[in-house]
Amino acid sequence: MIRAGVVPYAEALAWQRALAQARLEDRLPQDVLLLLEHPPVLTLGRTARETHLLRSEGIDVFAVERGGDVTYHGPGQLVGYPILDLAGYRKDLHWYLRTLEQALIDALAELGVAGARNPGHTGVWVRREGGVRKIASIGVHVKQWVTWHGFALNVTTDLAQFDRIVACGIPEVVMTSVEREGGTGKGEGSLWDQTSDAVVRGVEGAFGVSATSAELSPVVSHTLKGALGETLC
Amino acid sequence: MATTVFMEALSPTMEEGRLVKWHKHEGDAVKAGDTLAEVETDKAIMDLQARADGILRQVSAAEGQTVPVGKELAVIVAPGEPLGAGRGTGDEGRVAPSPAATAPAPSPAPRHSPPAAAAADAAPVKASPLARRMAKESGVDLKLLTGSGPGGRVVRRDLETAAARPAATVSASAPVAPVPPPPSPVPVSRTDASYEDVPLTQIRKTIAKRLAASLGPVPHYFLTTEVDMERAAEAREALNRDLGDEGRISFNDIVVKAAALALTRHRACNAWFQDDHIRYWNEVHVGVAVAVEDGLITPVIRHADRKSLREIGREAHDLAQRARNRRLRPEEYTGSTFSVSNLGMFDIDQFTAVINPPEAAILAVGSVTQKPVVADGTIVARRRMRLTLGCDHRVIDGATGAVFLQTLKQMLENPLAMLL
Repeated sequence: MIRAGVVPYAEALAWQRALAQARLEDRLPQDVLLLLEHPPVLTLGRTARETHLLRSEGIDVFAVERGGDVTYHGPGQLVGYPILDLAGYRKDLHWYLRTLEQALIDALAELGVAGARNPGHTGVWVRREGGVRKIASIGVHVKQWVTWHGFALNVTTDLAQFDRIVACGIPEVVMTSVEREGGTGKGEGSLWDQTSDAVVRGVEGAFGVSATSAELSPVVSHTLKGALGETLC
Repeated sequence: MATTVFMEALSPTMEEGRLVKWHKHEGDAVKAGDTLAEVETDKAIMDLQARADGILRQVSAAEGQTVPVGKELAVIVAPGEPLGAGRGTGDEGRVAPSPAATAPAPSPAPRHSPPAAAAADAAPVKASPLARRMAKESGVDLKLLTGSGPGGRVVRRDLETAAARPAATVSASAPVAPVPPPPSPVPVSRTDASYEDVPLTQIRKTIAKRLAASLGPVPHYFLTTEVDMERAAEAREALNRDLGDEGRISFNDIVVKAAALALTRHRACNAWFQDDHIRYWNEVHVGVAVAVEDGLITPVIRHADRKSLREIGREAHDLAQRARNRRLRPEEYTGSTFSVSNLGMFDIDQFTAVINPPEAAILAVGSVTQKPVVADGTIVARRRMRLTLGCDHRVIDGATGAVFLQTLKQMLENPLAMLL
């Protein structure tokens, strides 16, 4: 598990692709969970419709190979990119999506937020009187059963930013955040740190793994030499 | 020997997948392990990989199309292998030379058929002449169609139905000749003598969506006033004489500055309507609508109340230019707290503008024109300009909008007041 701080989208995308490639070539012996935050950016999944991008002209917009529609990433949003070899779990994309949801639901429960599934709409939602609000988005890509892309959980995200888009391609979807839902941890530390810790525990529980912290740089230098050269240097 | 590429199950619970993108195209050389296409189920994308080396042929699913698991999407044939060669499932290829393989030109006639239809190959197909011609033109194999005419005769209707379901019945290609690309789900321009259909560009779609999302749910009302611009015009002429061509100040720059100052005194009009609250801004960021090719965009002059006319003029000019070149960064066209739209350059006397949500108001600026007005009991020619404030009634009540407009009018009629 690597906590990478604030990483520009393009850079994180290069890391992910390189890590996934290394994982499927077995140069990377372990699964990796990248946890980070992006500067403001809009990304379009493969099934994104241009009409769902409302105020976009000139913005940093990335069309990427994950599933799903358009989404916003920015400060206060915890982004997780699991690079997992599903062959070690189950070769089943639907299982993977549901397990990611479970990990986030468990993490939210720790923070006192009742996350739930919304059948037919991948992601994690919070039920409220008068409807549901979306708190976490999920969109993944799998190549030879190695995953990349992942989830984005709003912790203290500026929710007005979602006005730029028709979030997840569902008009009228209302976004929310851990902060908005009054989520608090029991321990010390900022809401961000507590959420981040809860998410790691959620992933550990849902996937039945145990995470150890790692630095990106040794992982990069040892396993990705060359692979990153073109994109980052 | 050919290898069939089919829709793979990415989950035991997956029944169909959506082909979202082809990485390889008809006629491309592929190697085993290459990513041929991306398939989506739910919100997961999986790469579909080549299981053999060769040339990709008979691509029968279009991007965006949903295809049942197990259905054929394309075949991979060995280089030089005639296209008509039989296909197999997986590695068990069925090799069968086809007469079509050497046919010099497209014809509606024989081609290899799915095994189920093989027995029917020999039997002549009953079809109307029109249906035969349509089939020939569109490369459809009549044998694959179920005729709905008398005695199972294939008629025009059947061809039309088939055309609506491209992959299901037109999956196989015309022989030898390059296979026409599958029908694209992307709309294309259509021209007829009497009309032209132009697909919506991204910006048009965005505009359509945003403006419909404004005028529908946002309860607009409009307030109009006419402003005497004599003194502002004189001040502008004097300033521009000093500034030279470099940084000429427009009437709109003056309006932006005055509106920004007026907003600092009327915070009620400098607000966003949010779901369950109203956000009153203590900063003034004025969006200035700019017409660009095929649309409009609203770059933002931040802290316009604190900027000089010259700064506003220069910034507005630069933003407008880059807006037209689509070179704006996101932070340059988002976050406005109020917007100004000016159609004066088109001789529009007055108009109503649609609010840019979540903002609560927008100012529509007309042209500055000489008009006869009564001043001190006599009729004189004065330069006048009409302003129309569009307000979201959920945020701004009539009187609130009116006093803001009054302050703005006073500032423009007495530009020195802006210095106070």
